[in-house]
Amino acid sequence: MNAEAFRATGRVAGKRLPRMDGIGKVIGKHVYAADFTLPGMLYGRVLRSNKPHARIVKIDTSRAKAMPGVRTVITAADIPAVRYGQAVRDAPVFALDRVLFYGHAIAAVAATTLEIAEQALAAIDVELEDLPAVYDPEEALTNAILVHPDWQDFKVLPILVRDGNMTARTRMITGDADAAFANAYRVYEHRFKTALQHPGYTEPRASVADWDANGNVTVWTNTQLPFDTQTTLSEILDLPVSRVRVIVPGIGGGFGGKLRIGVEHYAALLARNTARPVRVLSTSEEELIAATPRQSAVVHLKTAVDRDGKLLGRQGRIIVDCGAFAGSGPAMASVSLQVLAGPYRNGTLALEGIAVYTNKVPAGSFRAPAGPMANFAVESQMDIIAEDLGIDPLELRLRNIVHEGDKGPSGEELKSVSVEECLRKAAAAIGWHDRKPAPGRGKGIACSWWMTTGGSSGVYVKIDPDGTATLVSGAVEIGTAALTGASQVLAEALSLDLDDIKVAGVDTQTSPYDYGAQGSRTAFSVGNACLAAAADLRQQLFELAAKQWNITTDGMELRDKQVIAGNKTIAIAELARLSRLSGGGLIAHGTANSPGPAFDPGRVENHMLPAWNTPSFHAQAADLSVDSETGAVSINRYVVAQDVGFAINPTYIEGQIEGGVSQGIGQALSEEIVYQNGRVMNANLTDYKMPTAMDVPEIECILVQSASAAGPFGAKGVGEPPCIHPPAALANAIAAATGARMHSLPMTAEKIVKELRSARE
Amino acid sequence: MSRRLLELTINGETHQLLAEPHWTLLHVLRNQIGMMGTKENCLEAECGVCTVLLDGRAVNSCLLLAGQAEGHQITTIEGLGTPENLDPLQQAFIECGAVQCGYCIPGMILTAKSFLDENPGHVPSRQEIREAVAGTLCRCTGYGKIVDAISVSAERRLAKQHKEPAA
Ligand code: FES
Ligand code: FES
Repeated sequence: MNAEAFRATGRVAGKRLPRMDGIGKVIGKHVYAADFTLPGMLYGRVLRSNKPHARIVKIDTSRAKAMPGVRTVITAADIPAVRYGQAVRDAPVFALDRVLFYGHAIAAVAATTLEIAEQALAAIDVELEDLPAVYDPEEALTNAILVHPDWQDFKVLPILVRDGNMTARTRMITGDADAAFANAYRVYEHRFKTALQHPGYTEPRASVADWDANGNVTVWTNTQLPFDTQTTLSEILDLPVSRVRVIVPGIGGGFGGKLRIGVEHYAALLARNTARPVRVLSTSEEELIAATPRQSAVVHLKTAVDRDGKLLGRQGRIIVDCGAFAGSGPAMASVSLQVLAGPYRNGTLALEGIAVYTNKVPAGSFRAPAGPMANFAVESQMDIIAEDLGIDPLELRLRNIVHEGDKGPSGEELKSVSVEECLRKAAAAIGWHDRKPAPGRGKGIACSWWMTTGGSSGVYVKIDPDGTATLVSGAVEIGTAALTGASQVLAEALSLDLDDIKVAGVDTQTSPYDYGAQGSRTAFSVGNACLAAAADLRQQLFELAAKQWNITTDGMELRDKQVIAGNKTIAIAELARLSRLSGGGLIAHGTANSPGPAFDPGRVENHMLPAWNTPSFHAQAADLSVDSETGAVSINRYVVAQDVGFAINPTYIEGQIEGGVSQGIGQALSEEIVYQNGRVMNANLTDYKMPTAMDVPEIECILVQSASAAGPFGAKGVGEPPCIHPPAALANAIAAATGARMHSLPMTAEKIVKELRSARE
Repeated sequence: MSRRLLELTINGETHQLLAEPHWTLLHVLRNQIGMMGTKENCLEAECGVCTVLLDGRAVNSCLLLAGQAEGHQITTIEGLGTPENLDPLQQAFIECGAVQCGYCIPGMILTAKSFLDENPGHVPSRQEIREAVAGTLCRCTGYGKIVDAISVSAERRLAKQHKEPAA
């Protein structure tokens, strides 16, 4: 790759330019998957379990099938017995002999109208016999009730250690933690809990499927990972992957909640049975009982320090509650360990991550998955330690943070380390010197680090005869403006303006592969692939010009949309036209991949992501007031200092920060999918409380730019980190304001007031 | 079920269709007429993505029966501006970076429009703007840049009013 060949001149990259799909979105023309229809389309609905764990005694679909307008009803009995999943292949399309959670799919219906489909669901006769269930992740580890008695039969990644309800166990070990703890000045031990959080995208999961005359299926859907969805569909449908085509029309938010197959398989199976296009659109209730929320977690964390607050070691265990299927749980048990280690020189480490099954909704990878849970624990505890030792919480962090060239928790070398700058800037901006300005008012701070997820990206870049370029990428624009960012990188490298770039839609049949819009990687990785394509195109342009002028390419430049050699110039548009005459047009295939850094395998056991690619560093600080009577929190100010490496488009980076913080505030203060006896009690958007415009403060963004070696013009991943710190930053501010230390999320007014009362007594 | 003839005025155009009495305006817009600019999500008046204007007032079209909209002027996002001639709010949303996934944006812009139209002659405070749009959920933006856009739009509107005083 020729990334070094280009220097950011700040002409297009680095500028606050409006996003490329903005006009379509403000005038209502942008087509989302939920808007996509086909003539003759049927409406699909899914019947879901109303019991958390039960034996299926009987499913009788005959009454539903006989209803006028009903075109098909399918259950597990009608489809191949395939189990799919990422690390563990444990999930069937429909419940087999038992339902495993409240919301588990039992059957699906396609009918000529949505109303008829709904009536048909009610006409399916299902008899369920309650089974004892397990809901608590800690109990699940020792409980005799197995969510999957057949767990040993599943196909799994060889790296996993499993046992009954425990579907993964991983460790991170550095030095002799026991010895460090034995010699410590003090040891702190705490337990923290976090709750299930829905990604909250405003467009529900929606898919339309249609089969062609040759037995190929096309699915129009709002997935973040079209290629992963294509592969999973090919397994479920028992078709070669090339016969499954996934097209993403547009997507109304994802945040990791639309990574894995959602309703695509129901649409495809119903469409196959009826030979008609079928659409399946999730309801809000289905979203809250049966989508893939952020796992809840229980963290035990023990930390040893010396007299000056220097960290000597951390021991701990995080239990990630996967729900009924493993999903991303095993990976999250792994990643959470890096977050527990934090951006700190820990001395020694003995951390364990466990992923466990329960009879609850299968969870997934919501934005910075595992980040907020682990950060809430480690950053809350840093403040508890500081308070106990009488050291300022900022000072305690500064004494322990990592610096350039330090080793990370897996023994990898850390580069472009900026956590000190982030901490100092966030603290200065929030007015740290006055940390408890009034009774009931306080300030809190938290810091962290996070990876830029790897995986490969391919792009095609085609130059049109008017001198503009089309970018064809397999990465979905999920709203972050990552493809506007990648286009800015491309425009910069080709000496074009952003207006000269068009972005093609994602279609697995024609788009080059991309690992997907996930893991803060899209602008970074697609941007790098664009640089590679631009380098190739530049060479092609130079060679065309050289031929035209009968000279060599030596000393040629690409500037102002033309190739320049001495006093000769020729426009890119002209070269594109020439290429059409004899060379089949100008096109390049650019690729990018970021392999992880070298690490010490002796420090990790069964870890799925042992060393992070291009980590970023960040700090957030909050200033809030707590009403001592009601426990209500009002956030006065909120500051984020985040190292983005290079700000490709500051406007949309701020947008990522503001949106991520707002989701983090939701997780911190109000959001929880509430279970009682295995049933979801708040499966609607009134009782599941996401922040409104009234709940989110003005968020002040400080963009730190400590360039990375691997990203386009030094960029680092941006999208996920903002939602990591709010639970800890707010918990620390609540403690500063009131003296009450919250150990579980969400920190609702009721919980805070209870804590305040018990502190008073 | 018995359908009856419904006559709706949407963005100044008359639409006639046979509708069942329980159909919502949202259902008619999206699934009968095929105007997809008005979005759907919760269908329970909890999220605001389905907001349209009824005689200039913001309403949740997922709860309003289509029959109740008869005889009223319905404005959807498609009726607000065109790419060549954007409504000032649409322009400000783009300029301020207030659009991410965009799914909440039609409802958000129409909510803002009815709010600004009800409050001519002054620039509302950021807090007033936040209160006004609190019924529309946006999961992407954290609302700050949406408030910026509405605020900028209100300032421009006032500046324009001062330049062209009403006769
Ligand atoms: S769809 Fe109407 S308010 Fe949510
Ligand atoms: S821009 Fe995505 S929900 Fe508002």
